[in-house]
Amino acid sequence: MMLQLLRVFRTGSQNFIRNMWLSTAATAVMTVTLTIVIISFISNQALTSTIKGVTDKIDVSIYLADSTTPDQMNAFRARLGQDENVQSVTYKSKADALADYRKQHASDPKLLQAISETDNPLPASLQVKTKDPKKLNSITAVVNQPQNKVLLDPTSAPSYSGTRKDTIDRIVRFSNFFRTTGLIMSIVFIIISTLIIFNTIRMAIFTRRDEIEIMKLVGATKWFIRGPFLVEAALYGIIAAFIAAALAYTLLLGGAPKLAAYIDVKSTIDFFRSYPILVVLGEMVIGVFIGVFSSLLAMTRYLKL
Amino acid sequence: MPALVELDLCYTKRQMILFDRVTKVYPNQSIALSGLNLHIQPKEFVTIVGSSGAGKSTLIKLLTREEAHTSGKIIVGGLDYDTITPRDVPLVRRRIGVVFQDFKLLPNRRVGENVAFALEVSGARSREIKRAVPKMLTLVGLAAKEGAMPDELSGGERQRVAIARALVRQPKILIADEPTGNLDPKNAWEIIELLLKINRFGTTVLLTTHNKEIVNALKRRVITINRGRIIRDDEQGRYTLETPTTLKEPKGGSR
Repeated sequence: MMLQLLRVFRTGSQNFIRNMWLSTAATAVMTVTLTIVIISFISNQALTSTIKGVTDKIDVSIYLADSTTPDQMNAFRARLGQDENVQSVTYKSKADALADYRKQHASDPKLLQAISETDNPLPASLQVKTKDPKKLNSITAVVNQPQNKVLLDPTSAPSYSGTRKDTIDRIVRFSNFFRTTGLIMSIVFIIISTLIIFNTIRMAIFTRRDEIEIMKLVGATKWFIRGPFLVEAALYGIIAAFIAAALAYTLLLGGAPKLAAYIDVKSTIDFFRSYPILVVLGEMVIGVFIGVFSSLLAMTRYLKL
Repeated sequence: MPALVELDLCYTKRQMILFDRVTKVYPNQSIALSGLNLHIQPKEFVTIVGSSGAGKSTLIKLLTREEAHTSGKIIVGGLDYDTITPRDVPLVRRRIGVVFQDFKLLPNRRVGENVAFALEVSGARSREIKRAVPKMLTLVGLAAKEGAMPDELSGGERQRVAIARALVRQPKILIADEPTGNLDPKNAWEIIELLLKINRFGTTVLLTTHNKEIVNALKRRVITINRGRIIRDDEQGRYTLETPTTLKEPKGGSR
């Protein structure tokens, strides 16, 4: 049994090599398909984490004048906390603001030099997260109460994300569109490669009909004859999986610095770095499935045993 | 089941091939064999003649189970063909060696690989294959050509490879379907002599041919088929066809 299986695998790979042109074409289509699948997976991941990053952001930042005392700040904070739409209010001190600033611009020494410990121009702030970032009227009202208004930093006005909300919505819509497109493209290419492999195996059955006849003649069982075709089609998938994964890694890691400016690819890259075997294996499963499925389809129609 | 046991007792000891009122009707309603009776003993050398369409090919296809018979009984080497399931068909074929007019070798495999193929299919061990293949090629006189490709061989040599492939599994029956059809007289004779040699070793040989000289020179049992029936069966037969063109020729065979 093992021996038979081994022979089937050997014949399958021999046939793969013998039909180099057909095999190359089939593998190429499979590679394109798997690359599209993996890229659509990457962009899905990246867009998801980007959107999460955007929507997790603080909705209202109220910058406080340097003269604000802790008591005043606490009163202001308590008043804001009473508002129904407010989820949480956190205080960000001048030192915190400086630390964040340094973290954000760690790679830019010029910007770092512009601000020093002794002369910190960054204001302290109250960071408000809301339940509904679109209904900010009541919060604005609190901010504009005379006793609170005097506490505001004269140089930087409070920033409301409510106005950003439309932009965020647009980003979400855009990325949903992008995801759907990726999904549709993946499905279309899976269908295309199924058809092409179906046809490749059909041609292989046709060109090898004498061989098949001889195999039947000398008493080969059904699966001994079918096996090599399955192996051949599975090989398209396996080879394509490696190429597609290599392409994806090159694109992702090579394009990461540029992409990082627009979307959050960090978590995706982390995933790809930590689980390369999983990525290749996942691709392989899809590729082998497409190959085996379409060659089975071709055999039930064209390989009468 | 009792019927089969009865048949076994009666025939299997004495008959290698038994056709009892076998009829084959193809789906297009053409009748290829009608009530054919055929008894072939072990170690016999039987030649089957008949014009094209007489039913020779159908007879062979029934033996190798490429086709199933419509009615009647076929028992080969003790195996009742009515009991065969589709899964058994490969096993049936492994018991019978077949050689064809067009050799049917795998063109992209070496001579040795072609012979080995028949063993690989049946799951033989590699060691066994390595031992059996050269032995068989020696038997057919091609020991030196094991590494050659089929297209480097003459027609006669190719047919020898085919015979080696058919015999490598040591079947009890060898069917040679027009084995000399593509060969010149010298090569044809060499193939026939090889078949006789194989027969002397104990294999039942079933030969079909259109070659009159060969049939007449063999002086072995000749069965003549016409329209799906056996019309002559001579122990030391000559080539005769009961058709108008051959009726004109002088007949030597006795009924």
